[in-house]
Amino acid sequence: MANSSFSGVRIGGVVTCVPTLEKCIDDEVDLFGGNEKQIARLKKTIGLNRRRVVEAGTTAVDLCHRAATRLLAASGVELGQVSAMIFVTQTPDYLQPCNAAVLHGRLKLPTSCAALDVNLGCSGYVYGLWLAHMMVQAGGCDRVLLLAGDTMSRLVHPKDRSVAPVFGDGGSATLIERSDGGQQAWFSLGTDGSGYDKLIVPAGGQRSPKTESTCLDVEDEDGNVRSSEHLFMDGAEVFNFSITVEPKAVRELLAYADLSLDSVDHFVFHQANRYILTNIAKRLKIDLTKVPMQTVERYGNQSSASIPSAMCGELQAVLCGAEAQRVLLSGFGVGLSWASAIVSLSDLSVCEVIEADSAQ
Amino acid sequence: MLSAICSNDFVDMKIDQLIGIFTESLEELPETPLDGATRYKDLKAWDSLAVLTVVDEIDMEYGVLLRKADFQKLATLQDLYEFVNARVENA
Repeated sequence: MANSSFSGVRIGGVVTCVPTLEKCIDDEVDLFGGNEKQIARLKKTIGLNRRRVVEAGTTAVDLCHRAATRLLAASGVELGQVSAMIFVTQTPDYLQPCNAAVLHGRLKLPTSCAALDVNLGCSGYVYGLWLAHMMVQAGGCDRVLLLAGDTMSRLVHPKDRSVAPVFGDGGSATLIERSDGGQQAWFSLGTDGSGYDKLIVPAGGQRSPKTESTCLDVEDEDGNVRSSEHLFMDGAEVFNFSITVEPKAVRELLAYADLSLDSVDHFVFHQANRYILTNIAKRLKIDLTKVPMQTVERYGNQSSASIPSAMCGELQAVLCGAEAQRVLLSGFGVGLSWASAIVSLSDLSVCEVIEADSAQ
Repeated sequence: MLSAICSNDFVDMKIDQLIGIFTESLEELPETPLDGATRYKDLKAWDSLAVLTVVDEIDMEYGVLLRKADFQKLATLQDLYEFVNARVENA
């Protein structure tokens, strides 16, 4: 496991932008062949419920743009003070150039600002935080803007029950800055690339370019429909991965940081679904009140934006308060990839969810 | 074992316990009561959600993580029972 620790770096603020359009599994009786009992069971067991999705034409850049504008204004940070930006996404505007460059231009950031994308999903927010901490601690970067956003709803086939009711969209912006407050942070990251095909969009890259046949809909043995250009998820394997890797990753990070489970105030896991979240919490024997999990039922699985979304939506008051909160963040998913961090958060300048069409 | 909270805690599973796990996990129970001879793949309510909850319960209780291929390879609850216990003993 790649472990590292930092001091003298803090998170200054975080904003998450969600689309205004809401969909609900209750309205999708047709998708389930009129089987309302199955919908009720999915709601009860897995916790599938509502999700926010973009309209065609809105991208992760648009959502993150709004989040970044709000974040910079609320934090009193001038554009010239941003030394670097990292954009975590798997749903970029273009194959080239990267989202970070597109948003850099839109925000009119100075040419002295470094900008790069990170192609990761559910683990990506913590990977991005890790990179940002390294940039600040290495010197030369006083403020790093981390964007994490995805529009997964655009990649799911509407007739694929294994993913369509699961994924929502969101875009976040987080400020990471130099600090003399002595905050410590610990990170632990891992990958199992042998599972690369458990969560995959098979066609559209160089390995399998789009052709006339890659866009054809195919019905699988469970009656779900998708083409090779849509997101495929092997739900059972991803579930097994989550319950195997996550509890172990959390325990190993705590051991590395020499901290006890009880000393952590909040456990913010990637908001995959309520079933996985309660399951991981149960295996770790964590008090459920320390585990935000309403975000996924409100907004859907927001991929790279789900952890900041849960911080903004469920921990706003406490993270903006003066009392330092020890927060464990942990993401897991596509790659397969996972990443966990323990950070100390207090006095955030802003920690809120905004809607995509709200006035700035 | 990777997923075990504490592998020393795990004990052999009884067939009744496996039947109990299936009873809890199936949305609808068949008219004939479940027993060792039940072919789980033939059950109407044996869907992906049922698989998920059975996998989860067996892993939590016995520290054995079943894969999709295991379910495909085996047929009856008795097969599954023997398979899980063999894995518990080897752990």
